[in-house]
Amino acid sequence: MAAAALCWALRAVRQALPSPCPRQVRSYYVDWRMLRDVKRRKLAYEYADERLRINAIRKNSILPKELQEVADKEIAALPRDSCPVRIRNRCVLTSRPRGVKRRWRLSRIVFRHFADHAQMSGVQRAMW
Amino acid sequence: KDKSAASKDSTHEGAAKRQEDGAETPKQQLLDIIGTMKVEVSYRKKLQQLKASESKKQAMKQLGGLESEGSVPQGITEDTQRGKPLNPELVKAASAVASSLPRNRKQTESELLAQLRRHEETTDKQKKGGTINICNVISEMTVKRQSPAQRGARISGRISLQLDEDGQRIRPERLSAQSMDSRRSLKVGKRLNIFTKASTEPEHTLNTVSSPTIWDMEFAKEVAAVTAQPPRNGFEEMIQWTKEGILWEFPVDNEVGMEDDAEFHEHIFLEKHLEGFPREGPIRHFMELVICGLSKNPYLSVKQKVEHIEWFQKYFEEKKELLQEI
Repeated sequence: MAAAALCWALRAVRQALPSPCPRQVRSYYVDWRMLRDVKRRKLAYEYADERLRINAIRKNSILPKELQEVADKEIAALPRDSCPVRIRNRCVLTSRPRGVKRRWRLSRIVFRHFADHAQMSGVQRAMW
Repeated sequence: KDKSAASKDSTHEGAAKRQEDGAETPKQQLLDIIGTMKVEVSYRKKLQQLKASESKKQAMKQLGGLESEGSVPQGITEDTQRGKPLNPELVKAASAVASSLPRNRKQTESELLAQLRRHEETTDKQKKGGTINICNVISEMTVKRQSPAQRGARISGRISLQLDEDGQRIRPERLSAQSMDSRRSLKVGKRLNIFTKASTEPEHTLNTVSSPTIWDMEFAKEVAAVTAQPPRNGFEEMIQWTKEGILWEFPVDNEVGMEDDAEFHEHIFLEKHLEGFPREGPIRHFMELVICGLSKNPYLSVKQKVEHIEWFQKYFEEKKELLQEI
């Protein structure tokens, strides 16, 4: 358990790029919840095809029901984090789970901060 | 100075001796022209000197021929160091011109004579036919005929800037020129001898180690790191980002990274992959629906579709016993 936690801690620290670029690079995720979300996304990507195929067998009126029940059991046996429903669109900068605009992947507070400082291209205060 | 004057006199004398008296006047005329061509006043003295020498020559015409003949070959050998006798008239003219010029008389004379020698060489070469024969060059060329429509299009193109929807200029299609080029082949025709063959250096037989060692790679990385200066402005920053892959290439290409070389029929007609399945029954029905759905999917590559079908095949193979119970 401790080893697994350590492993995840190491993975949280992303490696710095080998080439000496003068840009600042983020080496950590904002918090552990964001890290778990990242994990879930990766797994969901890996198992996406399989889930799609098994679901195609399940949601079917042609194949026999026994086959579909077997498929049900199979999909339940897959890792829990592989289902896409568990992914939460968090804010990219603050990891806020609520109030996140999908287009910018930012929470409303961060979005407002950047927009007021004129760092969002094409965003203007509404006035009509 | 005296020596040159003496040689000049001798050459003049020799030339005068060989030619008739009638031809003397055009030479004098030439000299007069050269004399008048000058701008500065101070050189009139030299001209007068020349004229004086000329008159002296005419007076000394009566002297013995042996003397002049003896001096003439001397003069010639002086001038022709390369062993090719120049035309003595040219030599005389050159010396006259040299005298008319402001700078060092001897130097200019020698330079002019060198020029003359070069001209002689080129003319000899041309006689032998070693240099470029322009007749050969032109014989291969043909006159390009512009149709009046094309000409009009070209002129109109120059005047107005025709913009397409994308903002790119409309180019008139030049099919005729391209077809002309394609008709000619490269190896047809005589050699024109325009370019000299570059001497092919003997290839180095000693080949260094082909596989780069680790040290070489490290050195290369170091060099790249040192030479990579930080971007001076926003444009260079964007260039760097594009190279790294952070920024897309504009105009945006929707099919970057997606190289599907398969034809449309490979996407649509997927029934050939259904050979492993039973011909009748619910599975076949199911698979036909799967294929129908896949054929309508534009987002997957053929490889992915085939993978889907193969997975289903494997899956149904595994569940065969179960299916037989039913």
